[in-house]
Amino acid sequence: MTEHLASFPVLSCMLLAPPLGLFILLFLKEEQQFLIRVVSLIAAGISFALSIYTFAAYDQKLGGLQFVEKYEWVKTFGITYYVGVEGMNAPLLLLTGIVIFTGVLTMWELSERVKEYFIFQLALVTGVFGVFMSYDMFFFFLFYEIAVVPMYVLILIWGSTRKIYAAMKLTLYLMAGSGLIIPGILLLYSTSGLFTFDMVRLHAVQFAPWVQKVAFVMMYIGFGVLAGVWPFHTWSPVGHVAAPTAVSMLHAGVLMKLGSFAILRVAMYLCPQGFQYWAQLMGLLAATGIVYGVFVGLAQTDLKYVIGYSSVSHMGIVGLGLATGTVDGLNGAVFQMFAHGVMTALFFSAVGFIYDRTHTREIHELGGFSKIMPVASAFFITAALCGAGVPGMASFWAELLVLVAAVKVFPVRGLFAIAALVIGALFALRVVQNTFFNEPNPKFVHFEDVSPFLGLPRMILIGFMIFFGIFPQTMVGLIKTSIIPFIQGL
Amino acid sequence: MNLLLFGPELYFLGMALVLFFLSLQRQVKVEQTYYIALLLSVGGVAMAGWCLFQEGELFFKAYKVDLFSQIFKAALAVGLFLVFMISQNLAQVEERCHPEFYLFLTTCTLGMMMLLSSVELLTIYVSLELSSYSLYILVPLRRGDDIDTEAGIKYLFIGAVSSGFMLFGLSYIFGATHSTYLADIVPKMGQLIQNPIGVVGLLLALAGFFFKVSIFPFHFWAPDVYQGAANQVTTFIATASKAAAVAMLLRFAALGTSFGYNFAQALVILSIISMTLGNLVAIIQKDFKRMLAYSSIAHAGYILMGVLTMQEAGYISAIYYALAYLFMNFSVFLVIHEVARDGRDLKIPELAGLWYRSPLLTMTLILGIFALAGVPPSIGFTGKLLLFTSAMNSGYFWLVLIGAVNGTISLYFYLRVVYHAYFLDPGPRPKIQLSWPSRLLNYAVCGIIIGFGVFPDRIVELAKLAAKMVL
Repeated sequence: MTEHLASFPVLSCMLLAPPLGLFILLFLKEEQQFLIRVVSLIAAGISFALSIYTFAAYDQKLGGLQFVEKYEWVKTFGITYYVGVEGMNAPLLLLTGIVIFTGVLTMWELSERVKEYFIFQLALVTGVFGVFMSYDMFFFFLFYEIAVVPMYVLILIWGSTRKIYAAMKLTLYLMAGSGLIIPGILLLYSTSGLFTFDMVRLHAVQFAPWVQKVAFVMMYIGFGVLAGVWPFHTWSPVGHVAAPTAVSMLHAGVLMKLGSFAILRVAMYLCPQGFQYWAQLMGLLAATGIVYGVFVGLAQTDLKYVIGYSSVSHMGIVGLGLATGTVDGLNGAVFQMFAHGVMTALFFSAVGFIYDRTHTREIHELGGFSKIMPVASAFFITAALCGAGVPGMASFWAELLVLVAAVKVFPVRGLFAIAALVIGALFALRVVQNTFFNEPNPKFVHFEDVSPFLGLPRMILIGFMIFFGIFPQTMVGLIKTSIIPFIQGL
Repeated sequence: MNLLLFGPELYFLGMALVLFFLSLQRQVKVEQTYYIALLLSVGGVAMAGWCLFQEGELFFKAYKVDLFSQIFKAALAVGLFLVFMISQNLAQVEERCHPEFYLFLTTCTLGMMMLLSSVELLTIYVSLELSSYSLYILVPLRRGDDIDTEAGIKYLFIGAVSSGFMLFGLSYIFGATHSTYLADIVPKMGQLIQNPIGVVGLLLALAGFFFKVSIFPFHFWAPDVYQGAANQVTTFIATASKAAAVAMLLRFAALGTSFGYNFAQALVILSIISMTLGNLVAIIQKDFKRMLAYSSIAHAGYILMGVLTMQEAGYISAIYYALAYLFMNFSVFLVIHEVARDGRDLKIPELAGLWYRSPLLTMTLILGIFALAGVPPSIGFTGKLLLFTSAMNSGYFWLVLIGAVNGTISLYFYLRVVYHAYFLDPGPRPKIQLSWPSRLLNYAVCGIIIGFGVFPDRIVELAKLAAKMVL
């Protein structure tokens, strides 16, 4: 892979803005709530702006790895600080920027333990940025863990519905995943004979087939837990329901992508033969996840559970795309990570707004909500349309790419997935109808609709969703620049 | 003879003398004694730091001063200083015993320091006993219920038994090699590879150190002593004493380098049992110190992973982890000390509402607990990953897998502490006011935990130089 060093440490700035904000927050008092929010917003805003910049400034003709920064960190163990941007992580960095910025805005009204909330949220997002930009396995894993653990506290304190159970379940599941990832990563490290954690250098090594098979399956399951791969997904709907709004946004929107991105970036990249050996299984689990997520989602009466299970099925699409191992499939998978991230963030953001006021997420209780809060409802409905894969939305193109590739590679599973998605779309519309277009519940009539300021984060999300729905080429072209060399390396 | 070679030991010997004279006073001036002891311990840190790069041999080559020993001597001096920092309020020790408290901690440190430099079997044994005997006295020094007596007796008995094992093992080694000098023994150990006497002798000889580090099957004292001893004594046992014992274990296990398979396999088994047992039993503990005792057994298992590789990388990571463990464990004990000012045993539920009572302590607690659990960015995470890396490099795939699974198990009880401290309401408990030295200490410990976790290079390079001295 060609490397182009950064003239200015853009990525480090993007990575360090949140921890810097966190550090400032430590010295603010709990009473200075406005200042706390502003500092968090600025920190998130800097990262957001820089993520847009890298997305736009990435030179597609030049290709390869750009904005590279590389410093030797611990020489004795071959650890380097190595960050860079290429076609497949630029969209995800952008996604993280969008979701954290809108996430801070969404939580503007939070009044309980504000300082601590933003401290943990900024810590979490640092980890997410770090994972997406790291090309050194040590840092990759370090950031991965940073992104996972603050969730425990975030759900525990600011969550709802069965939060104690959900927080512990989520953390233990994800850490059990880490328990598989560590030996997998270290197996590659020690059998390479290079004693380096540098992924690009490790990629050049031809690992023995058994090493690849073992390491791949360990990392696939380990990261797959976070990616919500069926049957390791059970923490995810529970966790999403329990988490506070912005954390659900971050979690479903970004964190689950860490898992699928890691499967692509580490597992598939370093163990191509292992991937080919396990590709059938990946395809099967992904297709099962799609069908399962759709049908279990249908039976839910809690709006957040509906979204939670839809996430399982949408992440199944990502998994299916990865499993095909074709250009279109991987392209679609990365695009779907982005599209689903924005969409789910919007979903949770909309539901969070409704829940904060009505304190219910039961579909039948909300009935006719669009007559009370037309704007808030519109946000949800837009997200639902996007989830159903309506043309003109980003996820349409992503799903199209994946499904076309999937039908070619796994015809039966692909058709099942398509059928499940069509049924899912039908029922999603029923959910929308029952929630928003029945008789309004008189209890909620007095609520006011979204103010322009609170609507802002949702508008940003919708803006990105539609922009990439209308101009999918900006995204697909970018992703392709890295997927094509990636496939050749497989 | 260059006096600086023996500098730290001489200093602490002098310090012990001063404290001894203080203990002869008829009327104990509590405050004054404390400040004298604290000031002297600051001097000790400076002295140990000054002598950090000394190198040489003393006493007919029975005593070797090198970077390896000096690093851990500095760590011991820092550990003693930290313990003295939280000893201002010795609620559980009778006032007339205060000078003795400082005195025996100092002699224990002295014994440990001598242990670190000893390269001759008898010197090792004598130094080990000097440090052990000081602790035998310190453990039951706590006033109140009988738990301290029980702990003291248990500690003495298990210590005596492990000493017995150790002497027995040493006699085998001596019998087989006709020398008490490690330098003479090392080349001869290679020939003993066919002979079980070598493996058995070495394993038995290690018993003394297993006891100190609380590795299975010499761990039984840990829970009772942790709970039964005064908080400050427990802190010392759990931090400085652990680090020094690990260092000694490293030096001694290096004898087994040529043994290869058998010896390492024995250690693998001990490591697996220690960490699994420690983590599983810790889950059901209600007393905070008792839980930490089991967690220390588990950590001993982790450290053993680095020891049993018998390679430079493993030694580096074990040294790094031992030093890291000192600080992360101390941070937790610091919180225990501040929350339980009257010196009582802290139950985990008593941490409830700490986030409200003292945000700073909560931060220290969470960082310490996360470091123990191996969550980044902390020295605990980096250390554990380095240990796993070196074990994997030596081909112990299953050991690493079991270690990683253990990490997940341990997270459950560590998170429970976070849950109590961070989630539950304080109820009627008042806010905790911290004095400024204590605040400073909190910040410093937090800074060290994160700073050296993210920038481990300096420590790793130092550990590398030190590891070269031993192997």
